[in-house]
Amino acid sequence: MKKNEPNWLMVLRTVMPLGLSYIPIGLACGVLLHAAGFNHLMTALISVMVFSGGAQFLIASMLTINAPMTTIILMMFFLELRYALLGSSLSRYLKGQPLPFIFAFAFSMNDENYAVNYLKFATDKHWQPKQALLVEHYSLLFWTVSNIIGSLIGSALTINLSVVDFALTALFIYMAVMQTKSRLTILVCAMSAVLTLFFLVLMKSTLGLVVSTLIASLLGYFIERQLIAHKPESHLLYKIHDPTGQSAMEESDK
Amino acid sequence: MQSVSSMSSMDHLWLIICCAVVAFIPRFFPLLFFTKRQIPEWFNEWMRFVPVSLFTALVVKSVFVDSKYNIMTSGNLGMIISSILVGIIAYRTRSMTLSVIIGLASVMIFVLVLHI
Repeated sequence: MKKNEPNWLMVLRTVMPLGLSYIPIGLACGVLLHAAGFNHLMTALISVMVFSGGAQFLIASMLTINAPMTTIILMMFFLELRYALLGSSLSRYLKGQPLPFIFAFAFSMNDENYAVNYLKFATDKHWQPKQALLVEHYSLLFWTVSNIIGSLIGSALTINLSVVDFALTALFIYMAVMQTKSRLTILVCAMSAVLTLFFLVLMKSTLGLVVSTLIASLLGYFIERQLIAHKPESHLLYKIHDPTGQSAMEESDK
Repeated sequence: MQSVSSMSSMDHLWLIICCAVVAFIPRFFPLLFFTKRQIPEWFNEWMRFVPVSLFTALVVKSVFVDSKYNIMTSGNLGMIISSILVGIIAYRTRSMTLSVIIGLASVMIFVLVLHI
Protein backbone atom coordinates (compact mmCIF):
# COMPACT_ATOMS: atom_id res chain seq x y z
CA MET A 1 0.00 0.00 0.00
CA LYS A 2 1.35 3.44 -0.93
CA LYS A 3 2.14 5.62 2.07
CA ASN A 4 0.90 9.08 1.05
CA GLU A 5 -2.17 8.05 -0.89
CA PRO A 6 -5.11 10.29 0.07
CA ASN A 7 -7.70 8.67 2.31
CA TRP A 8 -10.64 8.92 -0.09
CA LEU A 9 -8.68 7.16 -2.83
CA MET A 10 -7.46 4.41 -0.49
CA VAL A 11 -11.01 3.73 0.67
CA LEU A 12 -12.29 3.84 -2.90
CA ARG A 13 -9.74 1.20 -3.86
CA THR A 14 -10.94 -0.99 -0.99
CA VAL A 15 -14.56 -0.68 -2.07
CA MET A 16 -13.99 -1.01 -5.84
CA PRO A 17 -14.60 -4.80 -6.19
CA LEU A 18 -17.87 -4.40 -4.32
CA GLY A 19 -18.85 -1.29 -6.30
CA LEU A 20 -18.27 -3.05 -9.62
CA SER A 21 -20.24 -6.10 -8.55
CA TYR A 22 -23.17 -3.83 -7.67
CA ILE A 23 -23.48 -2.61 -11.26
CA PRO A 24 -25.11 -5.69 -12.89
CA ILE A 25 -27.24 -6.45 -9.83
CA GLY A 26 -28.29 -2.82 -9.46
CA LEU A 27 -29.22 -2.70 -13.14
CA ALA A 28 -31.40 -5.82 -12.82
CA CYS A 29 -33.00 -4.40 -9.69
CA GLY A 30 -33.75 -1.09 -11.41
CA VAL A 31 -35.37 -2.89 -14.34
CA LEU A 32 -37.61 -4.88 -11.99
CA LEU A 33 -38.58 -1.89 -9.87
CA HIS A 34 -39.55 -0.04 -13.02
CA ALA A 35 -41.66 -3.02 -14.11
CA ALA A 36 -43.31 -3.03 -10.67
CA GLY A 37 -44.49 0.53 -11.36
CA PHE A 38 -41.83 2.58 -9.58
CA ASN A 39 -40.85 5.81 -11.33
CA HIS A 40 -37.18 6.83 -11.58
CA LEU A 41 -37.36 9.11 -8.55
CA MET A 42 -38.91 6.40 -6.35
CA THR A 43 -36.27 3.92 -7.52
CA ALA A 44 -33.55 6.36 -6.51
CA LEU A 45 -35.25 7.00 -3.19
CA ILE A 46 -35.68 3.33 -2.29
CA SER A 47 -32.05 2.61 -3.24
CA VAL A 48 -30.87 5.24 -0.79
CA MET A 49 -33.36 4.58 2.00
CA VAL A 50 -33.63 0.79 2.00
CA PHE A 51 -30.29 0.02 0.32
CA SER A 52 -30.53 -3.74 0.26
CA GLY A 53 -30.48 -5.80 -2.91
CA GLY A 54 -32.59 -8.62 -1.51
CA ALA A 55 -35.15 -6.25 -0.02
CA GLN A 56 -35.56 -4.21 -3.19
CA PHE A 57 -35.90 -7.28 -5.39
CA LEU A 58 -38.47 -8.67 -3.00
CA ILE A 59 -40.48 -5.44 -2.95
CA ALA A 60 -40.47 -5.41 -6.75
CA SER A 61 -41.61 -9.00 -7.09
CA MET A 62 -44.27 -8.67 -4.39
CA LEU A 63 -45.66 -5.52 -5.99
CA THR A 64 -46.03 -7.32 -9.32
CA ILE A 65 -48.18 -10.02 -7.67
CA ASN A 66 -50.19 -7.24 -5.98
CA ALA A 67 -49.33 -8.37 -2.46
CA PRO A 68 -50.90 -6.15 0.22
CA MET A 69 -48.66 -3.49 1.75
CA THR A 70 -48.80 -4.99 5.25
CA THR A 71 -47.51 -8.34 3.95
CA ILE A 72 -44.67 -6.60 2.10
CA ILE A 73 -43.67 -4.69 5.22
CA LEU A 74 -43.87 -7.79 7.42
CA MET A 75 -41.71 -9.75 4.96
CA MET A 76 -39.32 -6.81 4.92
CA PHE A 77 -39.04 -6.94 8.68
CA PHE A 78 -38.03 -10.61 8.67
CA LEU A 79 -35.70 -10.11 5.75
CA GLU A 80 -33.95 -7.19 7.45
CA LEU A 81 -33.81 -8.88 10.85
CA ARG A 82 -30.49 -10.42 9.88
CA TYR A 83 -28.93 -6.96 10.14
CA ALA A 84 -29.39 -7.18 13.90
CA LEU A 85 -26.75 -9.86 13.82
CA LEU A 86 -24.44 -7.99 11.46
CA GLY A 87 -24.77 -4.80 13.50
CA SER A 88 -24.06 -6.49 16.79
CA SER A 89 -20.96 -8.22 15.44
CA LEU A 90 -19.52 -4.89 14.22
CA SER A 91 -20.46 -3.05 17.40
CA ARG A 92 -17.25 -3.77 19.26
CA TYR A 93 -15.27 -1.86 16.64
CA LEU A 94 -17.56 1.14 17.00
CA LYS A 95 -17.43 1.56 20.75
CA GLY A 96 -17.36 5.17 21.91
CA GLN A 97 -18.67 6.63 18.64
CA PRO A 98 -21.22 9.45 19.03
CA LEU A 99 -24.91 8.78 18.41
CA PRO A 100 -25.10 10.64 15.06
CA PHE A 101 -22.27 8.45 13.77
CA ILE A 102 -24.00 5.22 14.86
CA PHE A 103 -27.18 6.54 13.23
CA ALA A 104 -25.46 7.27 9.92
CA PHE A 105 -23.54 4.01 10.03
CA ALA A 106 -26.65 1.91 10.67
CA PHE A 107 -28.59 3.76 7.98
CA SER A 108 -26.28 2.67 5.15
CA MET A 109 -25.11 -0.70 6.40
CA ASN A 110 -25.91 -3.75 4.28
CA ASP A 111 -24.59 -7.30 3.75
CA GLU A 112 -21.85 -6.47 1.33
CA ASN A 113 -20.32 -3.35 2.84
CA TYR A 114 -20.58 -5.07 6.21
CA ALA A 115 -18.42 -7.89 4.84
CA VAL A 116 -15.84 -5.39 3.52
CA ASN A 117 -15.74 -3.50 6.80
CA TYR A 118 -15.71 -6.58 9.01
CA LEU A 119 -12.73 -7.93 7.10
CA LYS A 120 -10.94 -4.58 7.31
CA PHE A 121 -11.60 -4.13 11.04
CA ALA A 122 -10.49 -7.69 11.75
CA THR A 123 -7.28 -7.55 9.71
CA ASP A 124 -6.17 -3.90 9.66
CA LYS A 125 -5.78 -2.26 13.05
CA HIS A 126 -5.48 1.18 11.47
CA TRP A 127 -8.95 0.89 9.94
CA GLN A 128 -11.06 3.75 11.32
CA PRO A 129 -14.85 3.93 11.83
CA LYS A 130 -14.82 7.04 9.60
CA GLN A 131 -13.30 5.03 6.77
CA ALA A 132 -15.87 2.30 7.33
CA LEU A 133 -18.62 4.89 6.93
CA LEU A 134 -16.98 6.09 3.72
CA VAL A 135 -17.03 2.50 2.42
CA GLU A 136 -20.78 2.47 3.03
CA HIS A 137 -21.28 5.75 1.20
CA TYR A 138 -19.25 4.69 -1.83
CA SER A 139 -21.18 1.43 -2.09
CA LEU A 140 -24.44 3.37 -1.71
CA LEU A 141 -23.40 5.60 -4.61
CA PHE A 142 -22.60 2.64 -6.89
CA TRP A 143 -25.85 0.93 -5.95
CA THR A 144 -28.11 3.95 -6.42
CA VAL A 145 -26.63 4.98 -9.76
CA SER A 146 -26.91 1.40 -11.09
CA ASN A 147 -30.53 1.24 -9.97
CA ILE A 148 -31.41 4.53 -11.67
CA ILE A 149 -29.73 3.41 -14.89
CA GLY A 150 -31.58 0.08 -14.64
CA SER A 151 -34.83 1.97 -14.23
CA LEU A 152 -34.06 4.04 -17.34
CA ILE A 153 -33.16 0.90 -19.32
CA GLY A 154 -36.38 -0.74 -18.13
CA SER A 155 -38.43 2.14 -19.49
CA ALA A 156 -36.63 2.05 -22.85
CA LEU A 157 -36.62 -1.69 -23.58
CA THR A 158 -39.00 -4.59 -23.09
CA ILE A 159 -37.26 -7.30 -21.10
CA ASN A 160 -38.48 -10.76 -20.20
CA LEU A 161 -39.13 -10.22 -16.52
CA SER A 162 -39.41 -13.83 -15.41
CA VAL A 163 -35.77 -14.14 -16.43
CA VAL A 164 -34.62 -10.95 -14.66
CA ASP A 165 -36.63 -12.04 -11.63
CA PHE A 166 -34.35 -15.05 -11.30
CA ALA A 167 -31.63 -12.59 -10.22
CA LEU A 168 -33.46 -12.48 -6.87
CA THR A 169 -33.48 -16.26 -6.58
CA ALA A 170 -29.80 -16.41 -7.51
CA LEU A 171 -29.01 -13.71 -4.96
CA PHE A 172 -30.80 -15.60 -2.18
CA ILE A 173 -29.14 -18.90 -3.13
CA TYR A 174 -25.81 -17.11 -2.96
CA MET A 175 -26.59 -15.60 0.45
CA ALA A 176 -27.84 -18.95 1.79
CA VAL A 177 -24.66 -20.69 0.61
CA MET A 178 -22.51 -17.98 2.22
CA GLN A 179 -24.36 -18.50 5.51
CA THR A 180 -23.89 -22.27 5.51
CA LYS A 181 -21.26 -22.84 8.18
CA SER A 182 -22.09 -26.34 9.47
CA ARG A 183 -23.94 -29.46 8.36
CA LEU A 184 -26.74 -28.49 10.69
CA THR A 185 -27.35 -25.42 8.50
CA ILE A 186 -28.06 -27.76 5.57
CA LEU A 187 -30.58 -29.63 7.70
CA VAL A 188 -32.20 -26.29 8.63
CA CYS A 189 -32.40 -25.43 4.91
CA ALA A 190 -34.10 -28.74 4.17
CA MET A 191 -36.58 -28.26 7.03
CA SER A 192 -37.25 -24.70 5.89
CA ALA A 193 -37.88 -25.91 2.32
CA VAL A 194 -40.44 -28.53 3.40
CA LEU A 195 -42.11 -26.16 5.89
CA THR A 196 -42.29 -23.43 3.25
CA LEU A 197 -44.08 -25.68 0.75
CA PHE A 198 -46.45 -26.86 3.47
CA PHE A 199 -47.35 -23.43 4.87
CA LEU A 200 -47.53 -21.64 1.52
CA VAL A 201 -50.04 -24.18 0.19
CA LEU A 202 -51.90 -24.27 3.51
CA MET A 203 -52.12 -20.52 4.14
CA LYS A 204 -52.31 -19.41 0.47
CA SER A 205 -50.34 -16.30 1.40
CA THR A 206 -46.75 -15.10 1.73
CA LEU A 207 -47.24 -15.22 5.50
CA GLY A 208 -46.38 -18.90 5.06
CA LEU A 209 -42.81 -17.72 4.46
CA VAL A 210 -42.76 -15.95 7.80
CA VAL A 211 -44.17 -18.93 9.69
CA SER A 212 -41.77 -21.44 8.12
CA THR A 213 -38.79 -19.13 8.71
CA LEU A 214 -39.63 -18.81 12.39
CA ILE A 215 -40.19 -22.54 12.89
CA ALA A 216 -37.10 -23.62 10.92
CA SER A 217 -34.79 -21.14 12.69
CA LEU A 218 -36.10 -22.09 16.14
CA LEU A 219 -35.74 -25.80 15.31
CA GLY A 220 -32.17 -25.13 14.23
CA TYR A 221 -31.46 -23.27 17.45
CA PHE A 222 -32.91 -26.01 19.68
CA ILE A 223 -31.29 -28.88 17.75
CA GLU A 224 -27.93 -27.15 18.06
CA ARG A 225 -28.38 -26.67 21.81
CA GLN A 226 -29.39 -30.28 22.29
CA LEU A 227 -26.47 -31.55 20.23
CA ILE A 228 -23.91 -29.40 22.03
CA ALA A 229 -25.30 -30.51 25.37
CA HIS A 230 -25.74 -34.24 24.69
CA LYS A 231 -23.91 -35.25 21.51
CA PRO A 232 -21.00 -32.85 20.95
CA GLU A 233 -19.32 -35.30 18.55
CA SER A 234 -22.37 -35.31 16.23
CA HIS A 235 -21.67 -35.18 12.50
CA LEU A 236 -24.24 -32.42 12.17
CA LEU A 237 -21.93 -29.97 13.90
CA TYR A 238 -19.12 -30.50 11.37
CA LYS A 239 -17.99 -27.33 9.65
CA ILE A 240 -18.56 -26.92 5.93
CA HIS A 241 -15.33 -26.65 3.95
CA ASP A 242 -14.81 -23.32 2.23
CA PRO A 243 -12.99 -23.94 -1.07
CA THR A 244 -11.59 -20.38 -1.19
CA GLY A 245 -10.58 -20.23 2.48
CA GLN A 246 -11.91 -16.66 2.79
CA SER A 247 -14.11 -17.01 5.83
CA ALA A 248 -11.63 -19.02 7.90
CA MET A 249 -10.34 -15.89 9.54
CA GLU A 250 -13.79 -14.54 10.24
CA GLU A 251 -14.58 -17.67 12.23
CA SER A 252 -11.38 -17.80 14.23
CA ASP A 253 -11.76 -14.46 15.97
CA LYS A 254 -15.32 -14.96 17.19
CA MET B 1 -44.73 -11.04 -13.90
CA GLN B 2 -46.05 -8.83 -16.68
CA SER B 3 -48.90 -7.31 -14.71
CA VAL B 4 -48.19 -3.84 -13.39
CA SER B 5 -49.14 -3.02 -9.83
CA SER B 6 -52.19 -0.89 -9.21
CA MET B 7 -50.43 1.35 -6.65
CA SER B 8 -49.80 5.03 -7.27
CA SER B 9 -46.53 6.88 -6.70
CA MET B 10 -47.93 8.18 -3.43
CA ASP B 11 -48.51 4.60 -2.25
CA HIS B 12 -44.98 3.82 -3.35
CA LEU B 13 -43.64 6.70 -1.28
CA TRP B 14 -45.43 5.38 1.81
CA LEU B 15 -44.21 1.88 1.09
CA ILE B 16 -40.63 3.18 0.83
CA ILE B 17 -40.94 5.10 4.08
CA CYS B 18 -42.37 2.08 5.95
CA CYS B 19 -39.76 -0.26 4.49
CA ALA B 20 -36.99 2.21 5.33
CA VAL B 21 -38.18 2.34 8.95
CA VAL B 22 -38.48 -1.45 9.13
CA ALA B 23 -35.03 -1.79 7.55
CA PHE B 24 -33.52 0.79 9.88
CA ILE B 25 -34.73 -0.65 13.21
CA PRO B 26 -32.74 -3.93 13.12
CA ARG B 27 -29.68 -2.10 11.76
CA PHE B 28 -29.68 0.68 14.33
CA PHE B 29 -30.83 -0.55 17.74
CA PRO B 30 -28.63 -3.64 18.12
CA LEU B 31 -25.66 -1.58 16.94
CA LEU B 32 -26.46 1.18 19.44
CA PHE B 33 -27.26 -1.23 22.24
CA PHE B 34 -24.28 -3.53 21.81
CA THR B 35 -21.72 -0.75 21.53
CA LYS B 36 -22.54 -0.37 25.24
CA ARG B 37 -23.50 -3.91 26.37
CA GLN B 38 -22.81 -7.60 25.76
CA ILE B 39 -24.90 -9.51 23.20
CA PRO B 40 -27.09 -12.22 24.83
CA GLU B 41 -25.86 -15.61 23.66
CA TRP B 42 -29.28 -17.16 22.90
CA PHE B 43 -30.17 -14.21 20.65
CA ASN B 44 -26.96 -14.62 18.68
CA GLU B 45 -27.43 -18.37 18.33
CA TRP B 46 -31.03 -18.09 17.20
CA MET B 47 -30.22 -15.25 14.78
CA ARG B 48 -27.63 -17.42 13.08
CA PHE B 49 -30.44 -19.58 11.69
CA VAL B 50 -32.90 -16.85 10.67
CA PRO B 51 -31.27 -15.63 7.43
CA VAL B 52 -30.57 -19.08 6.05
CA SER B 53 -34.15 -20.24 6.79
CA LEU B 54 -35.62 -17.17 5.14
CA PHE B 55 -33.38 -17.36 2.05
CA THR B 56 -34.27 -21.01 1.56
CA ALA B 57 -37.96 -20.21 1.98
CA LEU B 58 -37.77 -17.46 -0.65
CA VAL B 59 -35.88 -19.65 -3.11
CA VAL B 60 -38.32 -22.54 -2.63
CA LYS B 61 -41.25 -20.18 -3.16
CA SER B 62 -39.92 -18.74 -6.40
CA VAL B 63 -38.81 -22.09 -7.83
CA PHE B 64 -41.57 -24.47 -6.68
CA VAL B 65 -44.69 -22.42 -5.90
CA ASP B 66 -46.77 -20.55 -8.48
CA SER B 67 -48.63 -17.27 -8.03
CA LYS B 68 -51.80 -19.09 -6.86
CA TYR B 69 -49.86 -20.91 -4.13
CA ASN B 70 -49.98 -24.31 -5.75
CA ILE B 71 -46.89 -26.47 -6.03
CA MET B 72 -45.60 -26.33 -9.60
CA THR B 73 -45.37 -29.72 -11.23
CA SER B 74 -44.17 -28.65 -14.67
CA GLY B 75 -42.45 -25.74 -16.39
CA ASN B 76 -39.89 -25.14 -13.69
CA LEU B 77 -37.20 -27.65 -14.67
CA GLY B 78 -35.03 -24.87 -16.15
CA MET B 79 -35.22 -22.94 -12.89
CA ILE B 80 -34.41 -26.03 -10.81
CA ILE B 81 -31.31 -26.80 -12.88
CA SER B 82 -30.26 -23.14 -12.83
CA SER B 83 -30.70 -22.98 -9.05
CA ILE B 84 -28.46 -25.99 -8.52
CA LEU B 85 -25.91 -24.42 -10.86
CA VAL B 86 -26.00 -21.14 -8.91
CA GLY B 87 -25.54 -23.07 -5.66
CA ILE B 88 -22.42 -24.77 -7.01
CA ILE B 89 -21.03 -21.49 -8.42
CA ALA B 90 -21.70 -19.68 -5.12
CA TYR B 91 -20.02 -22.43 -3.11
CA ARG B 92 -16.94 -22.64 -5.32
CA THR B 93 -16.36 -18.96 -6.14
CA ARG B 94 -18.04 -17.10 -3.22
CA SER B 95 -18.73 -14.35 -5.75
CA MET B 96 -22.12 -12.67 -5.70
CA THR B 97 -21.74 -11.19 -9.18
CA LEU B 98 -20.71 -14.48 -10.80
CA SER B 99 -23.58 -16.31 -9.09
CA VAL B 100 -26.17 -13.80 -10.28
CA ILE B 101 -24.84 -13.41 -13.83
CA ILE B 102 -24.37 -17.13 -14.48
CA GLY B 103 -27.80 -17.78 -12.93
CA LEU B 104 -29.42 -15.24 -15.26
CA ALA B 105 -27.59 -16.61 -18.32
CA SER B 106 -28.60 -20.16 -17.41
CA VAL B 107 -32.28 -19.29 -16.95
CA MET B 108 -32.22 -17.36 -20.19
CA ILE B 109 -30.93 -20.41 -22.06
CA PHE B 110 -33.32 -22.88 -20.40
CA VAL B 111 -36.48 -20.77 -20.40
CA LEU B 112 -36.15 -18.65 -23.53
CA VAL B 113 -34.22 -21.00 -25.81
CA LEU B 114 -35.02 -24.55 -24.67
CA HIS B 115 -38.49 -23.75 -23.20
CA ILE B 116 -38.27 -26.07 -20.21
